Amino acid sequence: MSSYKLKPPQIIISLFLLLLVIMAASMQMDLIGFFNQSIVKLVMNGVLVLSLIPMLNVGAGMNFGLPVGIVGGLLGMCLAVNFRLTGIHGFGMALLFSLLFCMLLGWIYGLILNRVKGREEIAGIFIGYSFIPLMNYAWTLLPFTNREMLYPIGGQGLRPRISLENYFNHVLDDLGVITVGAVEIPCGLLAFYALIAVFLYLFFATKAGRAAIAVGENESFARLSGINIEKTRMIAIVISTIIAGFGICVYAQSYGFIQLYDEPLSLTFPAIAAILIGGSTGKKTYIFEAVLGTYLLQSIYLLTVPIANAILVPELTEIIRTMITYGIILYALLIRERRGAER
Amino acid sequence: MTNLLEIKHLSKSYNGIPALRDINLSIPAGEIHGLIGANGSGKTTLMNILFGNPVIEATGGYEGEIYFNGQKTVFKNCGQAIKQGIGMIHQEFALIPDMTVAENIKLGRENTVDFARRLFGPSFSFVDRKRDDAGARRTLSKLGIDIDVGLKIVDLTSNLKQFVEIAREIDRSDLQLLILDEPTAVLSSSDGWQLIQILKEMSARDIAILFISHRLEEIQQVCDRVSVLRDGRLVAQYDKKDVSINRLARDMIGHLVEKASADKRDIANRPIITFKGFAVDMPGEAIRGLDLEVYEGEILGITSLSGHGKLALGYGMMGMYPVEGEVVYRNQRLSRMDARWNIMNGMYFLPDDRRELGIIADQSVEDNIIFTGNQVKNMFMTGFLGSFPGFVDRAQSRWYVNKMIEDFDIKCRSPKQKVKELSGGNQQKVCIARALTVDPALLFVAEPTRGIDIAAKEKILNMLIQINRSRNTTIIIMSSELDELKRVCDRIAVMVQGKVFKILSPHASDVDFALALSGEEGMPYEQL
Repeated sequence: MSSYKLKPPQIIISLFLLLLVIMAASMQMDLIGFFNQSIVKLVMNGVLVLSLIPMLNVGAGMNFGLPVGIVGGLLGMCLAVNFRLTGIHGFGMALLFSLLFCMLLGWIYGLILNRVKGREEIAGIFIGYSFIPLMNYAWTLLPFTNREMLYPIGGQGLRPRISLENYFNHVLDDLGVITVGAVEIPCGLLAFYALIAVFLYLFFATKAGRAAIAVGENESFARLSGINIEKTRMIAIVISTIIAGFGICVYAQSYGFIQLYDEPLSLTFPAIAAILIGGSTGKKTYIFEAVLGTYLLQSIYLLTVPIANAILVPELTEIIRTMITYGIILYALLIRERRGAER
Repeated sequence: MTNLLEIKHLSKSYNGIPALRDINLSIPAGEIHGLIGANGSGKTTLMNILFGNPVIEATGGYEGEIYFNGQKTVFKNCGQAIKQGIGMIHQEFALIPDMTVAENIKLGRENTVDFARRLFGPSFSFVDRKRDDAGARRTLSKLGIDIDVGLKIVDLTSNLKQFVEIAREIDRSDLQLLILDEPTAVLSSSDGWQLIQILKEMSARDIAILFISHRLEEIQQVCDRVSVLRDGRLVAQYDKKDVSINRLARDMIGHLVEKASADKRDIANRPIITFKGFAVDMPGEAIRGLDLEVYEGEILGITSLSGHGKLALGYGMMGMYPVEGEVVYRNQRLSRMDARWNIMNGMYFLPDDRRELGIIADQSVEDNIIFTGNQVKNMFMTGFLGSFPGFVDRAQSRWYVNKMIEDFDIKCRSPKQKVKELSGGNQQKVCIARALTVDPALLFVAEPTRGIDIAAKEKILNMLIQINRSRNTTIIIMSSELDELKRVCDRIAVMVQGKVFKILSPHASDVDFALALSGEEGMPYEQL
């Protein structure tokens, strides 16, 4: 890391963010409030972004099949809510259930990805898109019994949005908040984020983690050195899926709702946009890049909305948000292609 | 004779670092002009300027003038250079992997179906595959190569790829100047000679040839004049009659090279590994029924013409390609090639394609050296629960790697420097250091000196001899460099058609080797 050089996407987006901050300041908006929110947003989306790293490092590309892990997390949370588990205890159980579901789903996902080696990104997109309709059936048919989760009329099938109000809404957000003046630092939330990051860092220092990086960088070399390629990729894919499951749990407790049905699909692109902004080139990615990318992207989201509201028509904000996400992916891909060509 | 190409006061620098300084060079039509220089002496830069590589333009162009056919010319891109009649055979292949041999050779000059051409014009008419294939086959047969022109480039060995690349250029009818950038670097020696004969034929047809090579013997054999580059300067120029290998070598590196050589022994004790009817299905380089006994503690050389199977043995042993037949290793029959098991039990393989298979380019020297030992044999681990969780003991590994760097004289800034920043010779030393970390009893080495400059070559060979003598490691060297094998090996097996044809002593004459390589009825070297 000592010789780390800032990459163009990081610099450009940082400058854009700086511009937004200046604009917000000139309009006398509540900058400290934005800062407080930006920290929450960072962790809320950050774990999902971190979940991309193991697959990137093992050479399986951007995890466009993120919905697989998300569904695992949703299943875990639904189970916790169904058993009426509340508070931090409920959240912990949700994580535990997600872990089990994600291990199973990740294993199946890994089996598929090991067969489409080299085309994981496009395969992931289609796995995501075909898995979601299947789950749509499951959400309506699974025998959940908690009335608060079910459609109020008819009493069967899960609601698209399940409120966590009575369960574990904001348990992490409100855990160990330190207030300095107007600045609020959610220590519990940050600690959870740091825990995942440290876990990833330690994983890549272990023997299996180092093997994963070698496979990502030079598969033939790893094979000649007696590394079991399939197994190594499988480990990385399962870990990616598990962290994605945890990611949606953190997201949901912050957001206040479990969002089912087609919602998981809408989380993939922002996560990938974030890691691309962070400077990932689709290969080995540093944790630092994922954190930086998430913070930049989420802060921009946060600031564009009120600024666009003030300057433009209010309806434009959603359009701008979408434009930023997809535009950034396109831009980062262009940068990545050009850098590849130079090499 | 008029000069086809004239270069006057040519200088070029990259970001202020001079690569070429005040080069003056002229080549008349029909001359074979040799250009030699150690790695980094500016040969490739000169080629890039002549062939209009966009890199030159992008890094600020060059100073000086180039006259081609008497006219001042600036080549802005490769297309322009090709139009003027310049052809180039690249050191790194410029072939399209997913197209067939014939398509690659005829690329841009395809024969087209007459009717369609009249209807749609040349760019959109149908390609006449039959005539393309026949033409490609004809050109390849001139080079003495007989392969199916419908094969895709990806499936060929690097030697064959080189031939396809050469065939593409000599297939052109408008060629005036042919540039060869180390064409024989990846060709096995005897193929190299065949190429040289074709070059001589071409020069008789008034085509000028600029021939860049590491191999001084070849330069001496084939070139009418030789220029020597050192540190971006043209330090010497000789006519054919004045060329001597020693003088070229001295000009090139500024001092004389001491050649490695092992004292000869007689080793025929117990075998360490025995192959019976061993077959490896490696495309273009298959072994079909190898019967071979390798004795403990010897250095065995394996050589063959390209495509006859010398390279496949190591890959087969590491399970990269499907294998068949019987292998007995230390009284144990191996039924299945499992790289991990084989490494654990004392085998190791250093591949010929270092850049692709031998190193993890983006990782440090340290991580490259300890990788296999760490992953397979659980060396350099901290830990209390066996290999779990498996963190590296950095103090131990740093100490070990520093010792390796010192022992093998690996030139790097620190153990943390990335391997891709090292020269080919030093990368090979890193590979050998990694092999020694697992302390192999049987070491397979493929083309250990390929693409390494002459001074470093001898160091690598000396290392191999030293490892063999001090650790009693059995070494099997698979190489096309007969001269090197003869200096280092105790026995040399010559393979033909994927089988051992003959096992010769290193004292056997070149004629014997030439005969054996071609399966007896070939052409001995003297005729060239």
